[in-house]
Amino acid sequence: MNGVRVGKRVIGAQSPVTIGWENIPRVQGGPLKQFVFTWFQPTMLLALIAFWYYAPNDVAKASTAIGIGIGFKVLLLALEWVNPRHESWRLTWKELVTDLFYVGLGYTLLSMVERYIGSDAVIEAVQHNFDWDKFAWFMGLPLLVQAFLISFIFDFGQYWMHRGMHNWYPLWLTHAPHHYITQLNINKGAVGNPVELFLIGLGIGGFFDFLPRAALLAGTLGLAVGTYQHINVRFNSPRWWRFLFNTTEHHSMHHSQDYEASRSNYASTWIVIDRMFGTCVDGEAELLGMEGGRKMSISETMTFPFTEGWKTIRAKLRRDRFEEPAVLPAE
Amino acid sequence: MTDIRRGKGGNGVNRRFIDWIWNIRGSLPLIPGQSSDDAFGRLDPLFQEPGTSHERTADTLTFRKKNQAAQDKMSVFDAGVLQIQKSAPGCVLHYRLKSRALLFCFLAPLLFLGFAQAAVTIGELEKASAPAAEEKKPEKNMELPQHPIDKFLGAPTPEKPKKDKDAEDKDKPSPTAAYVFAGLFAILYVAGRILEDRLVKSLFRKRLLGV
Repeated sequence: MNGVRVGKRVIGAQSPVTIGWENIPRVQGGPLKQFVFTWFQPTMLLALIAFWYYAPNDVAKASTAIGIGIGFKVLLLALEWVNPRHESWRLTWKELVTDLFYVGLGYTLLSMVERYIGSDAVIEAVQHNFDWDKFAWFMGLPLLVQAFLISFIFDFGQYWMHRGMHNWYPLWLTHAPHHYITQLNINKGAVGNPVELFLIGLGIGGFFDFLPRAALLAGTLGLAVGTYQHINVRFNSPRWWRFLFNTTEHHSMHHSQDYEASRSNYASTWIVIDRMFGTCVDGEAELLGMEGGRKMSISETMTFPFTEGWKTIRAKLRRDRFEEPAVLPAE
Repeated sequence: MTDIRRGKGGNGVNRRFIDWIWNIRGSLPLIPGQSSDDAFGRLDPLFQEPGTSHERTADTLTFRKKNQAAQDKMSVFDAGVLQIQKSAPGCVLHYRLKSRALLFCFLAPLLFLGFAQAAVTIGELEKASAPAAEEKKPEKNMELPQHPIDKFLGAPTPEKPKKDKDAEDKDKPSPTAAYVFAGLFAILYVAGRILEDRLVKSLFRKRLLGV
């Protein structure tokens, strides 16, 4: 495999990838199917924004957002069934159970822990000392501008946290299990070591939780855009969409078995952040995972950062003990 | 020789009362005249997947899987025995397939019920140790700003989030999500136990018939 030169890097030398939008397949089928899978994403985004913009105050609350989030994901699961991107990514019973286990951990164990030491605790502290007067200038901005700023600043934090995970070994240990997934489905975003999910939850966007409607609008951007990172559906995403937003194509590249390809497309919602920092690669991959697609069990996912970390420390200690000091050239 | 329909000797009878939870047993008649060798030959590609090892004797095939890929058609199973036995009407393939995923899904509701109980206990402990309600600072009756564009487009007037009863309840850890997931996994177990039984039978049948 020769790979394709993208900027200074050669992508796809270890595992096949498709580079460039012109090479990515379009939705196949009749005109109705093509219409639906071309306009679904922008229509849902617009509908959700309109809902949160106009919803009465007693409806615009977090519990409504959770309900809509669950409903939207069930709908997307149905779309996976109707129009899969790859047959090899078909959701099986075992994959569904495994994914839902991690989703369940997020809703139960992690949410309990976060009340004390995670983002919830930080937000609570900030809210307690919050002076509404000082933030009046922000709340005086148009609602959609507030929502955009919250979403973008949050994603900016996520971008650097995610990029850090791919570049700093201790953080990588927490993120690595997520990269052992070999297919993308709706709930795959939750698959990973709980420590990583906890770290991802420490985004600075949480600070904006006390601006309900703008925060809910920002959250809906995450739902109606970020969710498509992990999905087995082929869409004809519009050109402006794939320029601004992260897509399944971008994220499949990030999960590719090819090492260089995996070091791209770090943003969660706004892929334009990757464009700003030169880490965006437009393309897609079908063969995903690590170590040639080795599946990681739930038990290994839970222990990986600790066992691998311990192995590394032990190896380093042994090296330091037994290796002879390096001979330095005489001046 | 162990009869895979009965399980291992000794306490096999007792164990069968519970091992249906993670074992799928079944049988399929072979095509009349089909030999064991031909039948296992047709099934062989299923055991050539990455992470799968298998051994074959004349009438028995045992396999084991480790870190099997999601794309493996038998990924839900971790080990198993397939045996061809001769009976009056013809040869029959009997199989017993072990699945840790089924066992895990069967036990998952217990884990989530445990999380629910933990949430309830933490809530009670917090309630018992909570200090007397702090005196609330009198809130300034300040009107929240709204941009003229939003006013023009008809967005509802912003209000400060109310610290109502719901919000106070939200401060306590809630066991609801854990109960929901316990129920979900119970349903998924029943669905999976029936579905995977049928899927593997259909997979073997198609392979044996060469469809």
